[in-house]
Amino acid sequence: MNAAFAIAGVSKRYPQFALQDITLTLPEGQVMGLVGVNGAGKSTLLRLLTGLAAPDAGQVEVLGQRLPEAQVAAKRRIGFASEDMRLYRGQTLAWHIELVRRIYPEWDSAYAASLMRRFDLRADQPTGGFSHGQRVKALLLLCLARRPQLLLLDEPTTGLDPVARAEVLESLAEVLRDERRSVLFSSHNTHDVEQLADTITFLHGGRLLASADKERFLGDWRRVLCLGDAPDALSTWPELAQVRNAGRQIELKVRRWDDALPERLAHVGLDVQRIDPMGLEDIFVTTVRAGGAA
Amino acid sequence: MPNLDTGAAVAAPTDARIHALDHLRALAMLAGVLFHAALAYSPLMHAFWPTAYRASSPWVDALAWLLHLVRMPLFFLVAGYFTTWLIERRGMTGLMQHRVRRILVPFLLAWPLVHVAMSAATRQAAHTVQNPSPFLSMLREWLALPDSPWMPPGTGHLWFLYYLLLFTALVWIARTLGWSGLFIRLLRLGAARVALLLPLLVLPGFLLTTTPHPAPESLLPQFWAVALYGPFFALGAALHGRLDTLQRLRRWLWPMLATCLLLYLAFLFQLSRFGNEDWMRHAPWSTALLQACIAGWGTLAILVAGLRWLARPNAWLAYLSRSAYWTYLLHLPVLFAVQYALLDVALAWPIAFLVASGITLAVCLLSYELLVRRTRLRHWVG
Amino acid sequence: MNRELNWPTIRLLIVKDWQLFQKQLAAYLLAAFVALAFLGLAKPWAFYIGSLLLIIILVAVACFAISTSLLTERKEQTLAFVMSLPVSPLDFTVAKLVGNLATFLVPFVIIGLCTALVIFSTPLPNGLMVLTTLVFAHILLAYCVSLAVAMRIESEGWNTFVMIASMVMINPFLMAIGQLHGVSGVARGDAITWSGPVLAILSAQLVLSLSCLAFAAWWNGRKPAFY
Repeated sequence: MNAAFAIAGVSKRYPQFALQDITLTLPEGQVMGLVGVNGAGKSTLLRLLTGLAAPDAGQVEVLGQRLPEAQVAAKRRIGFASEDMRLYRGQTLAWHIELVRRIYPEWDSAYAASLMRRFDLRADQPTGGFSHGQRVKALLLLCLARRPQLLLLDEPTTGLDPVARAEVLESLAEVLRDERRSVLFSSHNTHDVEQLADTITFLHGGRLLASADKERFLGDWRRVLCLGDAPDALSTWPELAQVRNAGRQIELKVRRWDDALPERLAHVGLDVQRIDPMGLEDIFVTTVRAGGAA
Repeated sequence: MPNLDTGAAVAAPTDARIHALDHLRALAMLAGVLFHAALAYSPLMHAFWPTAYRASSPWVDALAWLLHLVRMPLFFLVAGYFTTWLIERRGMTGLMQHRVRRILVPFLLAWPLVHVAMSAATRQAAHTVQNPSPFLSMLREWLALPDSPWMPPGTGHLWFLYYLLLFTALVWIARTLGWSGLFIRLLRLGAARVALLLPLLVLPGFLLTTTPHPAPESLLPQFWAVALYGPFFALGAALHGRLDTLQRLRRWLWPMLATCLLLYLAFLFQLSRFGNEDWMRHAPWSTALLQACIAGWGTLAILVAGLRWLARPNAWLAYLSRSAYWTYLLHLPVLFAVQYALLDVALAWPIAFLVASGITLAVCLLSYELLVRRTRLRHWVG
Repeated sequence: MNRELNWPTIRLLIVKDWQLFQKQLAAYLLAAFVALAFLGLAKPWAFYIGSLLLIIILVAVACFAISTSLLTERKEQTLAFVMSLPVSPLDFTVAKLVGNLATFLVPFVIIGLCTALVIFSTPLPNGLMVLTTLVFAHILLAYCVSLAVAMRIESEGWNTFVMIASMVMINPFLMAIGQLHGVSGVARGDAITWSGPVLAILSAQLVLSLSCLAFAAWWNGRKPAFY
C-alpha cells in the first residue's frame, strides 16, 4: 500500500520550541487524528507535511513527493486548512472560489455548490462578515471541492457550535468514503478523533508519544479499580501508566491490557473491583502525565 | 450628438426606447453642427468667434443659446443611459474595451488632425482673408509679433470625448467604491422631485463658470464642466431600466416646455444687459439659476418628448444616427474652412448660414459614405 | 530544489493582488482627478493645492501598496491561505514583486503623465520636467527600498519607519538638488536640458531601485520553505 505521507527522523527547531525525531507514516486511504495540547507541535508538523516548513533533520515525503523541494507538486494534491488561516475580508466567497478554481483543474463545481448548500453559506457575502463557524466551513469548502488526495486539517472543529461541528464531520466522513483519499486532522476534541480516525497519534512537547491503530489504543487501555494496599513496586510495572491511591481504593490506568493482569494484581494483595474501558481523552491525559510513550 | 455606443459592432437594438434615444442623439448632433455654424452670425460671439461673419442677427442669439443650454446635457444624459446599457450587456471590462475602441483611439487620432487642420486654416485665413473677423484681425497682429504669445493646446470641439472618458472612469470609480446607487436612490423620490432637484444639482456648474458657458477645452478637467454635465450623465446612467419613472412627466411636458421658454426669455433679457466685464466673470446667482432650470427641465422635456414621438424606427434618423459620430468629428474643421472662404463673399446671413451648414453636412455625409460606412472604420467611428 | 517558476499560479496571484487593490486605485484616481481639476483652475492657491494633492497621492500609493499586499496580509493571516496554494517561496516572491510593482507603477505612471501634461499644457516652464523627474525617481527609489524591506522583515514598526524615513528624505534631497545648476538653472526656462550631474543622479536612482528589487528577489527566493 502507498503511503499518503512518510516522515522519518524529522526535527525542526525554533528559538522556544523544538519538534524532535518524529517518525510517522499514514497509509493511503486512512484517517489519522493528531491529538496534543496547545504548543505540542501539531501546527509545526502540519507545516512540515505541506512543505511550508523545511525540517532541520530527517526526511519528509508526501504523496510520493519529497518536501520541501517538491512542495508545489505536492500542494496541488493537498488540501490544507489551518486554524490561523483567514480569507480576504473585503472579498466574497465567490471570489475565493474563483481564485481556487482557476488554480486547481480538479475543482468540482457541483460538489462546491452542494457543500455551499449544506454549509448554508452565501457566495455573494464578503467573508469579513462571516462568523468563526462560517469561516471554518468556507475554508473547508475551498479544500474539499478541489478533491485533494490528502487533506490536512489543523483544528477543523475547534470553536464550532454543535450544528456546524456535525456538518463538518459529515463532510469529512463523506471524503473518507473514497478509499484513495487520506486525512490528517489535529484536534483537542478527542470525541471527534475517536469518531473519525483510523489511527491516533499523540504529540506532546515536540515529541511523538504514541501512534497506533484506534482499535488497538482503545483495546489496550483499561481503568482498573482495586481495593487493598498497593505495594510500592506497583508503580514500576511497565504496563501501568498511572497508579492513584485514595485510602484503600486504588485506581490503576493500564496502558497494555493483559487478561492475566487481574490475577497478577490479586497476587500482590489487590482485589479488583471494576475494569472499565478508557476514552481517548482519558488515555491522552494519562499518557501526557505519565510523561512517556502510550 | 454622435452615436458612440450603438456602433456597428453591437447587435441592432430592438427596444423602442433605444430607438428614441438613438434618434435624440442624432438630432442633438444635427443641432451641434447647426449651432457651431450659427455662431458666425451671432452678435454676442462676434468679437470672439474666428469665423464671425460681417452680417449678424439677434435672432441667431435668440435661438442658438437655447440649443446651447440643452444639447450637451441631453447628449450626456443619453451617454450615461447607454453606459449602463453597455455594462449590463458586456460588463465593466466590455465597457472599457468599447470606450478604448470607440472613444479613446478616435480621440487620440482625431485630435491632432483636427488641431492641425484648424490651426492651418485659421492661420491661412488670418493671412489672406480681406474681411477678417475681429478674432482673425487680432490673430494677424499676434502672428506679426516677433514673439507670438503661446496658446496652451486644448481639446477643441472634441472636448465631449475627453469628458466622456472622464465620466466613464468616474463610473468605474463609483462602482468600485460602492457609490453607484446614489442617483438610483434619487430616482426613487419620483419624477416630480427629480425634476425639481435636477436644476439644483447642476446649479454649481453654472455658478463656477462664465455665461454663456464655454466649451471646456482645457486638457485639465474643469470642476464646472464635471458639476454641470456630470449630474446629467449620472441621471442617464440611473435611468437605464427605470425610464418608467419619468412617465409622470408626460402630462407636464407642455407646461415644462412653456416654462423653459419663459425662463429663456428672462435669460435673454439678462444677457442683453451684460456689460463688457460681465462676460469674464462667473455668472451671478440669478443667471446661473435660470440656466440650470432651462438646462434641467428642457433636457427632461426633450427626453420625454423623444420617448413619446421618436420611438418608432425611422430610416433617416437611423442613418443620421450611424453617421453622427463621424460627422461630428469632422464637421468643425470643414465648417471653419467653408466659413473662412465665405468671409469675403457678401451674402445675407441666412444664405451664408445655409451654404456653410449645407456644404459641411454634405462633405461629412459624403465622406461617411465613401470612407466609413462600408469600411473597417465603421467599427471605430461608424 | 526545484527552481522552476510556476507561471500560471504566479499570474493568478498577481491578478489576485491587483483585484484587491481596485478600491485603493479608484480612490487614488478620484483624488488625482480632483488634483488635476484644482490645477485646471489656473490660480496660484489652486495650483498649490493640486500639486500638494498629487504628491500626497504618490506617497500614499507607495506606502499603501506595500502595506496592503504584504503587511496587512501577514497581520490578517491571509498569508497562510496563499501559502497553502501550490506556490514555492520563489513563486510567491516573484508574484509579490511583480504584483506590487504593477499596483504601484500604474498610478505612478498615470500621475507622472498627468504632471507632464500639466507642465506642457500650462504656462509653467517646461524646464520643471527635470526637477519633477528627479522627484519621481526618488519616490520610486523610496518605494523599492520599502518593498525590499517589507518582503524580508515582518515587523510592522520597522516597515513603517522605513517607509516614512525614505519618503521624508525627499526634503533634504530637494534641498541638495536645488543647489545644482542643472536643476535650478533649468527650472525657470522652457528648455529641458539634462546635465551630466542630473543624469548621474537619475541613473544612480534607477540602478539603486533595480538593485533593491533584485536583492529582494534573490534573498527571498532562495528560501527552501516559507517557515
